[in-house]
Amino acid sequence: MAPPPATAVADAMNPPARPRDSQANIDIMAVTKGFHWPWLIALLFALAGVGLAAATLAWQTYEGLGVAGYQAPVFWGVYIITFVFWIGIGHAGTLISAILFLFRAKWRNAINRGAETMTVFAVLTAALFPLIHIGRLWKFYFLLPYPNQRYLWVNFKSPLLWDVFAVNTYLTISVLFFLVGLIPDIAIARDRAVGWKKVVYMLLAAGWQGTGKQWKAHSRAVLHLSGLATPLVLSVHSIVSWDFAMSIVPGWHATIFAPYFVAGAIFGGFAMVIVVMVPVRRIFRLESYITDYHFENMSRFILFTSIICGYAYGAEYFIAWYSAVEFEQTSFWQRAFGPYWFSTWCMIIFNVVMPQLLWIKKLRTNVPFLFVLCFFINLGMWFERYVIIITSLSREYIPAAWGLYIPSLVEMIVLAGSFCWFSMFFLLYLKMFPIIAISEVKELDIHARDHARHEHGHPAHAAHASGGAH
Amino acid sequence: MAELVSVYEYPSDVATVVRKLKARGFTDLTTYSPAPFEEIELAEDPTPSKVRSFHLIGSLVGVVTGFGIQIWMSMDWPIKIAGKNIAAIPPMWIIGFELQTLFGGILVVVGLAILAGLYPRPLDKHYSPRFSAEEFGVVVRCEDRDAAEVESLMRGHNAKEVAVVAAH
Repeated sequence: MAPPPATAVADAMNPPARPRDSQANIDIMAVTKGFHWPWLIALLFALAGVGLAAATLAWQTYEGLGVAGYQAPVFWGVYIITFVFWIGIGHAGTLISAILFLFRAKWRNAINRGAETMTVFAVLTAALFPLIHIGRLWKFYFLLPYPNQRYLWVNFKSPLLWDVFAVNTYLTISVLFFLVGLIPDIAIARDRAVGWKKVVYMLLAAGWQGTGKQWKAHSRAVLHLSGLATPLVLSVHSIVSWDFAMSIVPGWHATIFAPYFVAGAIFGGFAMVIVVMVPVRRIFRLESYITDYHFENMSRFILFTSIICGYAYGAEYFIAWYSAVEFEQTSFWQRAFGPYWFSTWCMIIFNVVMPQLLWIKKLRTNVPFLFVLCFFINLGMWFERYVIIITSLSREYIPAAWGLYIPSLVEMIVLAGSFCWFSMFFLLYLKMFPIIAISEVKELDIHARDHARHEHGHPAHAAHASGGAH
Repeated sequence: MAELVSVYEYPSDVATVVRKLKARGFTDLTTYSPAPFEEIELAEDPTPSKVRSFHLIGSLVGVVTGFGIQIWMSMDWPIKIAGKNIAAIPPMWIIGFELQTLFGGILVVVGLAILAGLYPRPLDKHYSPRFSAEEFGVVVRCEDRDAAEVESLMRGHNAKEVAVVAAH
């Protein structure tokens, strides 16, 4: 065998000094690189769904809301149900990022970015529905309060107006929270990118270098934003619930609505995080970052909030019976045994009965089972809003004004389109920015190594953020 | 003037060396780290962050704006609703709270941008992608005659590398 050339031997003996990159940088940034068939198929599917929904909406805009099946007595149909559903989904991100941050629950580090991303896109999706619901899109500015021009009567005592402020504030704060957290990771991408991508990341990283001064301001900004976002997240779905509870419609006029809605939102939001993160983890091989431990912790949240939802469902029925108000009693009887019984029992089975399986640890850590369960929980949460809105509106006080609501094809296409719209943004995000907060994962890894060095005199091979939190 | 650039592997070493350097009077220093570490922050600058001032100002402006627009617009178009005052205060707390949060949050981010110097600009000459991997950097600017002492301090606290460069 011929000896290797002298230069190769020299290179082997004296390899050129090359800075060691972090394994977290390599693994997590790998998601943004390369080609993944499942990602492309999902994106094409999402684009097709968005296209179909856009065409349907164009037709609805041209023809009017009649094509969406709007008729007395139900004028809040699938569009408002879906609005409330997506706002609820948007709650998990802030809960994981802000509230768990304030409680110093470090296990959140591997999933907070995914949840924040989901929050931003879920709220953006939700924000479309008031526009879709008004039909005449060009009149949307009537939703915005401004000094009384054109005889616009801004009723500051109306929860619908509070909702405009709440949702817009939540969207803004969620986006700011998300972007602030993203800056250090964009800098990581900048340092490893080439060509036009480097220029884009350089602009977005805004001069981030991880100096002590920058980290100090960043940590405090995250802390203050968490402090702001925590009451905000509780307020937003409370205000959404008051859209209903402030009215006198039977089934809606209940003081339990705010905590009931907030618990339901956190419940559905966590379920959606699992539905989204399970395939992401699998396709992009992030099992060492998003571990079974994370799924188990989220399962516990789901179990806890499921019990709160179950309590709220029970309390509603109890109060309706105990109040001795015939309209309330009829409304709740209709829910369970009237024409919409199917949605009510789906809601109860998917949201209260099935999650009780999570008392079993083996199931809490069984990822495929969690994925299926959380899919049904999301279905159940959509049915919950369907039950609340449709059963009450279709059968109010006067039996002569009762009606039967059946979702129209147009509404169902737009509903499906909203999932595609959300998925489209999420999938595009995956290929542009890190889906796991790299610097926060590294914080735990490096700390673990540093502590191990002090305790044992040598750096242990630290488990990732995730696992390390065991 | 000399500049010394050192590289470390652990945050506790960075915190220790920064404390010692400051104790010896070498306060013109910059640290680079791949993640936030409280021990480094406390060693480098233990004073409270000014972000909270931005938060306070934003929140106060927000709550005043929230109540202000509601009272003004209600008085400007006075319609009695459900027997309540024209400018009924209790329901105004909701929008007051939302705008307090909105303005507070925006000002917190403005504060971050100002305090951390976040705007597109060239990076420091001593910044290295290593500091966005897993390593830490400490850069100290000192008189030429002190360079040996600073270098010795750095090496004595597990600096992996120390480079002395002339500052201009």
